[in-house]
Amino acid sequence: MILIGESIHVIAKAVNDAVKERNPKVIQDLAVAQAEAGADYIDLNVGPARKEPEEMMQWIVGTVQEVVDLPLSIDTMNPIAMEAGLKACKGRPLLNSASNKTESKEQMLPLAKKYDCDVVVSVIADYGMPPDVDERVSSILEVVEHANNLGIPNESIWVDPIILPISTAGEGQRHARANLEFIQILPDLLPGVKSTVGLSNVSNGAPMELRPLLNQVFGVMLQKNGLYSAIADVLDKDFVRVVRGERPEITDLIYKVMDDEAIDLSSLSKEEKDYVKTAEVMIGKTLYSDAWLES
Amino acid sequence: MEYRAPIDSYPGIVREITIGKGEKALKLGGENRLPLHSFDEGSYPHPPKFALELWDMEPEDWPEWGVEPYKDVISDSVAWAKKCEDYGPDAVCLRLVSTDPSVKDSPPEQAAETAKKVAEAINCPLIIYGSADADKDALVLPKVAEACSGMNLLLGPILKENYERVAQVALDHGHTLIAQSPVDINLLKELNVRLSKFCPLDKIVIDPLSSALGYGFEYTFSLMERVKQAGVIFKDEMTQMPLIADLGSECWKTRQAKENKEQALVWEGVTALSFLMAGANILVVRHPDTLNLIRGITGVDRV
Repeated sequence: MILIGESIHVIAKAVNDAVKERNPKVIQDLAVAQAEAGADYIDLNVGPARKEPEEMMQWIVGTVQEVVDLPLSIDTMNPIAMEAGLKACKGRPLLNSASNKTESKEQMLPLAKKYDCDVVVSVIADYGMPPDVDERVSSILEVVEHANNLGIPNESIWVDPIILPISTAGEGQRHARANLEFIQILPDLLPGVKSTVGLSNVSNGAPMELRPLLNQVFGVMLQKNGLYSAIADVLDKDFVRVVRGERPEITDLIYKVMDDEAIDLSSLSKEEKDYVKTAEVMIGKTLYSDAWLES
Repeated sequence: MEYRAPIDSYPGIVREITIGKGEKALKLGGENRLPLHSFDEGSYPHPPKFALELWDMEPEDWPEWGVEPYKDVISDSVAWAKKCEDYGPDAVCLRLVSTDPSVKDSPPEQAAETAKKVAEAINCPLIIYGSADADKDALVLPKVAEACSGMNLLLGPILKENYERVAQVALDHGHTLIAQSPVDINLLKELNVRLSKFCPLDKIVIDPLSSALGYGFEYTFSLMERVKQAGVIFKDEMTQMPLIADLGSECWKTRQAKENKEQALVWEGVTALSFLMAGANILVVRHPDTLNLIRGITGVDRV
């Protein structure tokens, strides 16, 4: 799985301050740490970038390129900042992201063609988040057709079904199942497209210390269903090991839950049981609560 | 070809719990099918029960048609409770409104005394609700539990914020708990998981927080449906408890109830009827006419 390191993100206060002060140290440390942890791309999430979008973008791209050679994922909803970012990249960047919103189709997608880069395209439509698999499918078909007409081939498109928090009152588990299904059927719908997700959002709102477990399990499940890449916390060493297939005993357990195979819980360690319980939450077999490991 | 309606059977069962003591004790739950699915396999051994509500103080904002059935007794909780019982509900529900810090902030000892007098004056089981102020209830409910020791009250609301301070004392005195969470199935389950560490699962009734028709009712409705489905279809142990719909006070707060009597009764009646469809096992209503109306419609009579 292609891993896009998510840590340079303006929601993090340290990153936000560093960007404001144009302080390269914090940004470069995070870039290097993620590269060493195994990231294939470095995501630069600068949010809406209202102030001096072009100058700021040139600065942050330059700052990161001074210390790592990895390709960058330029992550902003501001098309001016986006264009400045794409222009400043040495390698072939990833435009993160466009969507099925009219505004995005008019302002973002053409940039992917203009700068010949790969582009993340999400299922978000003008009306918001498509509620189920069928609506996600019709939304993505629309926007990919639009991209193809602009001259962007399927091979350059990374489809994002939008991951929502599993803890969202009653709805989170339904969305998790819908996304597992969506990723599985995607190759038949749009041959040649790649896929990606903002993985850590699945654990948003869950107890801090348990978030890595949710991320790891959902990552493995999506990977089994064919996920190509994830924007994720690569600084979580266990996550990288698990999705790199370095813990086959854990991935096997998660697969068993997905395939509804019988598991003898009494033979498992506490850690293994936790993975099984988490996987059962993800497929909707058990109802989520913040105390899902305790029952 | 002859049509045959499908008949489902369900693997899970709602726990049977008992509130109150002696002959008039009530059993709640025990069903292993969905509400009103009488065409499916399984049974509903204990039809839904109804409680009439009273306050521990004279209410100031009730419309006159709300006060009317209790007008001679409304300043005396004990007489009021007896009056409620005369109307023939399965249980009586005492709401300790006066303890609310924003109402009278009356002391826990006073609440405990009222609770004890009311409990001793009636024969049917007693439900007691605190003010739902987590910190005040943490002081009030343990005192009430102690004063009514051994009476198996249905006592709450036990909240995520105060369960550690309230639940154990209530259990030690032999009561059953109302576990309340704010209209969220994940939080509801979490509270039950936390309680299950020290509380037998047949000492919990789930209060998903009810609202009146037109005032967020459908959120509670679909939540109740999901609780029943999780428990009965998916065998989720942490949702296999009976449900309480505490709806009377919500209904009587509405503009519609305050406009005229007929509307008030229809509002409370339709809300109650709808919660029966969602699977509520015990319903708290305010007006005796509502009680009779619902029993008349459903044929659910005193057991």
